[in-house]
Amino acid sequence: MKLNNYKNIFLVGLLTLAACKPSVETPVLTKGSADFSRFISVGNSLTSGFADGGLYREGQLNSFPSIVAQQMQAVGGGNFAQPLFSEDKADGSGYIRLDKFNADGTPVTVNQSTNNAVRGVIAVPISATATTNVTVYTKYTGDINNYGVPGIRLSDATNPLYGNYNGYFERLLPGITPANTSTSYLDFVTAKPYTFFSNWLGNNDALGYATSGGAGDVLTPKATFTALYNQVITKLTAGGQKGVVSTIPDVTAIPYFSTVTIGAILAGVQKVNPAATALYVSARNTADDATGISYTARVATAADLVTLTFPTSKIGTLVSTVAGPLPYGLTPLTPIENQYILDPNEVVLVRGYVDAYNTTIKAAAASKGLALVDMYTVLNNIKKGVIIDGVSLNSSFISGGVFSLDGVHLTPRGYAIVANEFIKAINAQYGSTIPQAEVSAYRGVKIP
Amino acid sequence: MRKILLLMLAFLPAAVFAQGFQVNLEGQKQIGMGHTGTGLLLDGSSVFFNPGAVAMLPENYIQGGISPLWFKSGFVPTGSNVQYNTANKVATPFNAYGVWGPKAARWKVGLGVYTPYGGLTDWGNTWAGKYVLTSLDLKTIFFQPTFSYKISDMISIGAGFVYNHGSVNLKRAIPLADANNPSGEAELKGGGTGYGYNAGVFIDTKKGLTIGVTYRSKVDTKLNDGDALFTVPGSLKGSFPSPNTFKAQLPLAATTSIGFGYTSSAKWLLALDANYVQWDVYKELAFDYAQNTAALQDTRSPRNYKNAVSLRAGAQYKASNEFTLRVGGGYASTPVKDGYVTPEVPDANRGFYTAGLTYKASRHFDLDVSFEYEHLGSRTQNNIESNLSGTFKSNVYIPGVALVYHW
Repeated sequence: MKLNNYKNIFLVGLLTLAACKPSVETPVLTKGSADFSRFISVGNSLTSGFADGGLYREGQLNSFPSIVAQQMQAVGGGNFAQPLFSEDKADGSGYIRLDKFNADGTPVTVNQSTNNAVRGVIAVPISATATTNVTVYTKYTGDINNYGVPGIRLSDATNPLYGNYNGYFERLLPGITPANTSTSYLDFVTAKPYTFFSNWLGNNDALGYATSGGAGDVLTPKATFTALYNQVITKLTAGGQKGVVSTIPDVTAIPYFSTVTIGAILAGVQKVNPAATALYVSARNTADDATGISYTARVATAADLVTLTFPTSKIGTLVSTVAGPLPYGLTPLTPIENQYILDPNEVVLVRGYVDAYNTTIKAAAASKGLALVDMYTVLNNIKKGVIIDGVSLNSSFISGGVFSLDGVHLTPRGYAIVANEFIKAINAQYGSTIPQAEVSAYRGVKIP
Repeated sequence: MRKILLLMLAFLPAAVFAQGFQVNLEGQKQIGMGHTGTGLLLDGSSVFFNPGAVAMLPENYIQGGISPLWFKSGFVPTGSNVQYNTANKVATPFNAYGVWGPKAARWKVGLGVYTPYGGLTDWGNTWAGKYVLTSLDLKTIFFQPTFSYKISDMISIGAGFVYNHGSVNLKRAIPLADANNPSGEAELKGGGTGYGYNAGVFIDTKKGLTIGVTYRSKVDTKLNDGDALFTVPGSLKGSFPSPNTFKAQLPLAATTSIGFGYTSSAKWLLALDANYVQWDVYKELAFDYAQNTAALQDTRSPRNYKNAVSLRAGAQYKASNEFTLRVGGGYASTPVKDGYVTPEVPDANRGFYTAGLTYKASRHFDLDVSFEYEHLGSRTQNNIESNLSGTFKSNVYIPGVALVYHW
């Protein structure tokens, strides 16, 4: 054999090397016993992709059902249409974004609503004499798979008038408020055939009460919740459809309640006025909701949760009282108002409701053989801190990476984590092998 | 008062260096025989394989070889069906040796320049583990002046001093998005030096069996004043001072080897080597930054390597005056315990298969060709530090060529 021949063999070998890649075995793709050809998602803001205090196009594109549906396509999932805001109205309802950090590390946010989709504000009658202002948005008329409606409570799902009061729902309906009098949310989402559903209703039945510091909104009674939840599930599975449902998180697991603390406010006060020793809050007297609701001013403690929206500049401003003008938050006569504080009795009260709701959800899932995501546990684990793909994640505001700037809703990265929890639950229940999404491909909070 | 502390720990680069970084490509003839050579007298590469054997070499040598290396890794995250592959990059380990001594003398001197550790990995900045690593380029070049002395016709000894010049460039994405970029980047680069030695004994039983024993010491390579560069969103530039500098230390493990050669006939030579690599010196990897902030702290990452072994065997067949054919193979255990595997080198137990040949172009001139294929077992891991979870699999393809002049 001539040297040239060896050389040729060698060179051909070199060229083929460039093409060889190791092949890692992956599970066989299967839909299992489920059928994902038309997947619909039912729920509230967390289903719609709401983030940073608004519903906007980028958030919608990163909604958890959208991520799940993309992954479902590997196992026979169909097209997944979302009621997206158009690109020229990409700011949707408007949202907040981070503008800068102050020297002390506190963030400064600004509103982003240049290209918003607001149609106007309509005064809608809620009784013979009263109206409520409803912000309405550019109508969406296309196909819908993601039925997430920000703000909706389970207790709204069967109300035929609800399309008049919620601008996000009104946007999906043909009629203009106040002409929507006949289509309940539940009827609307089940009008068109579907093969698989997700249902994550129920958060707002407790969250609305909590985020208002127990001052606005009301907790949906436990028995009402159970009856409505079972009604919704019965209707969603009426055609033998399979699906996945989720428990609702502990409302205190969110940075909305853990970012601003009594200790931090007091420390800020003491920088200016070293003599200040305590803050005062208006706190609920009992966690028992059977007895009458009453509040008393008392010294604030670390157990009092302050809302993210509390304007700290109010502290120390003079408030007129029976004893003359006194500084806000610093005396028993001028406590921090109830709406900014979720006090320990209110926490106990809300937790009792959330536990009851979750018992209902788990029981409904079990009785219908549905996949169950225990988001209550998932978010409590994130609160303790998790590391995914080399990224440290937790419930801290901004730096935690999971929660968006409103402290309640999630970042794309947070929604990707949620999507994977849904995928895992579906796979476990139905023997499918929907591939998980890549969490590291999704962003946390955008830093200026 | 939305007071937050931007304590963004776990953003800091931390690399791991494994057996994958021990590059066993120090001579084309030896590669052809499964990288045996501790107990053989093949050519000037004995400077590396056994300094004790240098004085026994029948001739003087000047030679150089290169082994372009394709390390191809794939990764599938747990629960996913997407496979990420490393980019097609080629590393270039090389070896060069000179050996000289008067014909009648009992001694020879030698110089070796070779690259016993290195790594080149580029996963890109869109893969699942980008926040662990995007790319790594690690090079070491050992310079080894050597003296060898023949005590008798049956036994010789030798030793060389080792000076290592190493360089590293490591990149990793930082999970901080801004309006335009999905993530930031950290880049650590720098050069360092280390010292060690390589010593051996060679025995010729004069009955066809030759035996070699060597000890290559640990080489602690210290990087001082490496550059640490960070690309982060504008408002956080103060938290990630850039340019910054860092210090790090990398222990390159000691290796003890024993090797046998057996000349069964005029045409056949058989070889067997065993190596014991003391990777347990590698307990942690620490990065010490010159400027620290709340977000940029020094890091100490546990490595806790275990010692590793490799077994190698090879055969040489002298087909004609012009052609000598070689074949070999072996097995190397990984020093990386479960939970510590990282994408720098997704190390695993590996088997390797080699072949080679020598074409004797003239009385003084050899052309050596070698080829090695390594297969790393697939390894499903959840890293204890990053929680990067998934299955790695790697193949390594290493052709090589050397020119040897001897007289």
